[in-house]
Amino acid sequence: MKIESTKKVKKGLAEMLKGGVIMDVVNAEQAKIAEKAGAVAVMALERIPADIRADGGVARMSSVGVIQEVMDSVSIPVMAKARIGHFVEAQILDSLGIDFIDESEVLTPADEVNHINKQSFKAPFVCGATGLGEATRRIAEGASMIRTKGEAGTGNVVEAVRHMRTITNELNEVIACDENEIVALSKKFRAPLNVLEEIKEQNKLPVVNFAAGGIATPADAALMMQLGCDGVFVGSGIFKSGDPAERAEAIVIATTNYNDPKVLSEVSKDLGEPMVGINIDTLSEEEKLAKRGW
Amino acid sequence: MKVGILSFQGSFLDHSKSIHELGYESLLIKQSKDLTSVDALILPGGESTAMKKINQFSNLLTDIDQFIKDGIPTLTTCAGTILLAKEVIGGEVTIPNIDIEVTRNAYGRQTESFEGSVKFFENEDIYCFIRAPKISKILSDTVNVIAQHDDEIVGVAQKNVVSLTFHPELNNDEYYLNWLNDFIKEGKNVRSF
Repeated sequence: MKIESTKKVKKGLAEMLKGGVIMDVVNAEQAKIAEKAGAVAVMALERIPADIRADGGVARMSSVGVIQEVMDSVSIPVMAKARIGHFVEAQILDSLGIDFIDESEVLTPADEVNHINKQSFKAPFVCGATGLGEATRRIAEGASMIRTKGEAGTGNVVEAVRHMRTITNELNEVIACDENEIVALSKKFRAPLNVLEEIKEQNKLPVVNFAAGGIATPADAALMMQLGCDGVFVGSGIFKSGDPAERAEAIVIATTNYNDPKVLSEVSKDLGEPMVGINIDTLSEEEKLAKRGW
Repeated sequence: MKVGILSFQGSFLDHSKSIHELGYESLLIKQSKDLTSVDALILPGGESTAMKKINQFSNLLTDIDQFIKDGIPTLTTCAGTILLAKEVIGGEVTIPNIDIEVTRNAYGRQTESFEGSVKFFENEDIYCFIRAPKISKILSDTVNVIAQHDDEIVGVAQKNVVSLTFHPELNNDEYYLNWLNDFIKEGKNVRSF
């Protein structure tokens, strides 16, 4: 007996990525640098978020050529992004045999009401969230992994911290609530009741939750881990920095040893220039990617 | 009883949960200095390439290698099995302690990951195989087959080491936990030969 793509198998891969770093790459060369530096997976993109932000225009799924080039170049899992609600981009990625699909606010949304129904795909999905309501709605749609949205391409960790703290506080409210309060909480957070019940039963989110959006240094990664994240996505922070290989390695070591300041100071030494950051206050509301998704 | 779990990354917290269910203490090991006296060791699943990289920081695996060679009961799953294999196709040999050849990502990508029936000793149950390796060759007569999926060998034992390619820690079924309890407590099924 053998059944593929079950819920458990999809969530299982996310479990195996825990405590690891997932890195954005735009070609085979970068993918190999990431794998060598100890990434647990890579995200194949045509442009990294900082460039998407700088270029403007419509950001779509990466070209199949780029994705396949990355898939062929490394032995670790490969993820790729589809636009919010663009289930055909997701079908294409699924048919390529991609290991994980990120339904991502970094790309321009294709549907302003609906997210993809993720249950019917062979590949597992990861989705961004700014709070518990969003996280649980994505889980109800079939996401096998959640990540904070943060503010991608800024090199500024403040939004990821805000989102992680919000998710944790709201999660604690659900865990601590009396059974008579759960329906009201479901209404308050716009959170599907069945997912809240699952949270209450397990005393935690039923899927893995990673940090993403604005992580640029080993200290940023460790900060997110100490706040309770299960692992870290690093987008522009690596390949927009002075020495990508060194920085990638340092972030990997920092993510494992997030509770050991001695190790953190050691790996933070002589890292070269980090990416230039953007203050969130200087972004207009339309420029904030975290606002995308419903 | 204290069980040390290699915690570079991967499903170490799931294994830790199994240990707590048995009422034992678990010790998450990330650096050499964390490795104190333990009664058993677990090397979990995850990405073996990432684990090898993280290991370079303190060379913890060299110390773990010594603990294994000293005869401490050691369970490995998935990537942990790759770390202990004598030969690795599609990857590198790390701390060879079990006479098998494994092939990394042998079933294919995640879309080929599956839940499958496994005969684990006398029991049959459904377990997860996630981008799993295959035990492609047995390299010694002292390696015993303890788990099979159809005709495939998915679990072996040699001396104090039990290596699996599937994930019993994602099930924590009664049979597995009972077996694990015996394994930790008495080194049963391993110290007998």
